[in-house]
Amino acid sequence: MSVRRVLRALWRVNVVEELQYRANFLASLLGTLFWIAMALLTLALFFRHTARLGGWDYWEVVVLLGVFNALTGVIEAVLRPGIGELVDEVRSGKLDLILTRPVDAQLYVSFRRLDLWRFADVALGLALAGYAVVRLGRVPSPLDLLAFAVTLGSAVALVYAIWVALMSLAFWFVAVENLSVLFDAVYEAARYPVSAYPGALRFVFVYLVPIAWTTTIPASALTGRLAPAAALGAAGVAALALALTRLLWRAALRRYTSAGG
Amino acid sequence: MNVWLRRYAALVRSAWLVDLQYRAAIAIWMLWNVTEPAIALGIWWSIASQGAVQGFGRDDFARYFFGVALVNQLTLAWDAWYIDRWVRDGEMNFRLARPIGPVHEAIADNIAYKARTASVVLVVWMLVALAWPVVRLPFAPGRWALFALAVALAAAIRFLNGYATGLLAFWTTRATALMELQFGISLFLSGRLAPLALLPPAVASVAGVLWFPYVLSFPVEVLTGGVVTHQQYVRGFLGQVCWLAV
Repeated sequence: MSVRRVLRALWRVNVVEELQYRANFLASLLGTLFWIAMALLTLALFFRHTARLGGWDYWEVVVLLGVFNALTGVIEAVLRPGIGELVDEVRSGKLDLILTRPVDAQLYVSFRRLDLWRFADVALGLALAGYAVVRLGRVPSPLDLLAFAVTLGSAVALVYAIWVALMSLAFWFVAVENLSVLFDAVYEAARYPVSAYPGALRFVFVYLVPIAWTTTIPASALTGRLAPAAALGAAGVAALALALTRLLWRAALRRYTSAGG
Repeated sequence: MNVWLRRYAALVRSAWLVDLQYRAAIAIWMLWNVTEPAIALGIWWSIASQGAVQGFGRDDFARYFFGVALVNQLTLAWDAWYIDRWVRDGEMNFRLARPIGPVHEAIADNIAYKARTASVVLVVWMLVALAWPVVRLPFAPGRWALFALAVALAAAIRFLNGYATGLLAFWTTRATALMELQFGISLFLSGRLAPLALLPPAVASVAGVLWFPYVLSFPVEVLTGGVVTHQQYVRGFLGQVCWLAV
């Protein structure tokens, strides 16, 4: 049985389930709007005292903020309800049930559940980025848009890879229940262009915890700061990260001894 | 009195031991608390590269945000989330059935947790200060004593606020949303993102009548030397006491 068919069936059940809780949609939407407003106010505060942040002007940083929100939408909609549950399942031994299924465990664990309403955050984020591009008075060329699509796709893949890598740690450190908080903490830094940070931090965000690739690079593509060819570089980084995390996942599974092991 | 001392000693001890079991998780929560001021510092650091921002130079920002990290750790109040969960999943029942009120347990938890985490922040601060003279503070025991008092009052305000909001969970299922709301607003009004002096004056004066600055920016500025005149001290402590009374 192909993993795709299994997932499609799961998603159908998922959609039906979520449609029963439509009030949650409103709550989640209000929450997102509130936090976007706070983020815009934060930027307004910074830009009261400076004309540029790491060489970016106000609307350029808003484009980046839109990208950031779109990516958090993906994280909340797909990653947190799916692979985010892994830590608990490793500890309690529930992972047994998944491993015995005749489908690829990594794909199944990652994409089994969708928090439907949070996809609205993706739309909101992209809309914000689009609006900011209009305010910049810049019409992106088709090539820019293509580069944006490629870099954004790479960004999603990269964020996914970071989550798999982080959650795989649960196989070694069973006692750490809030591994995802570790991600949240560091990912906050991706709200601003990486050039706004001092040199040492910049190095960390580009090479060690590559979150710079997830927001700064797509936003650069949209604002024309990025040579379109560089999008291929981003795709390469994402592919490398996916391959590495696949290896890590395998190594982690070999360590799994179920509950009490 | 004596009985209460013994009770609290036992509660704090048990909370301390529970935390010890979860030290890795606590370390991650701490990191989460420290990254926010660290990011804000990074941004202000780059903004201040062309010169001081309204009198705040790079060094001032560094000291301010180190202070924010410490005070925030010392005054954190997460009780609303716990109470919300207990009320929803029924754990409140057996907590209420214990011979000592849940509020005392909560206070003891806070004491144990803060003693542990704040001491880590302090040690890290001292280590950083060895390598980076910018964040060293002048030796001023008098000011430190006032700082301790300000922090204690701030922690009390935040705790009571969080606890009271949490108790709303008995009536509504969205009590934590109220905490989120406050959390968002406090980004600005309590000085988590920037020293209050850098806010637009109108916003800063609104903040002055609310409780937000008294739980974070006031203690920080006592520590870093932003509060200088007697009048400012009196205003700050008065504000704290008023909000504590509420």
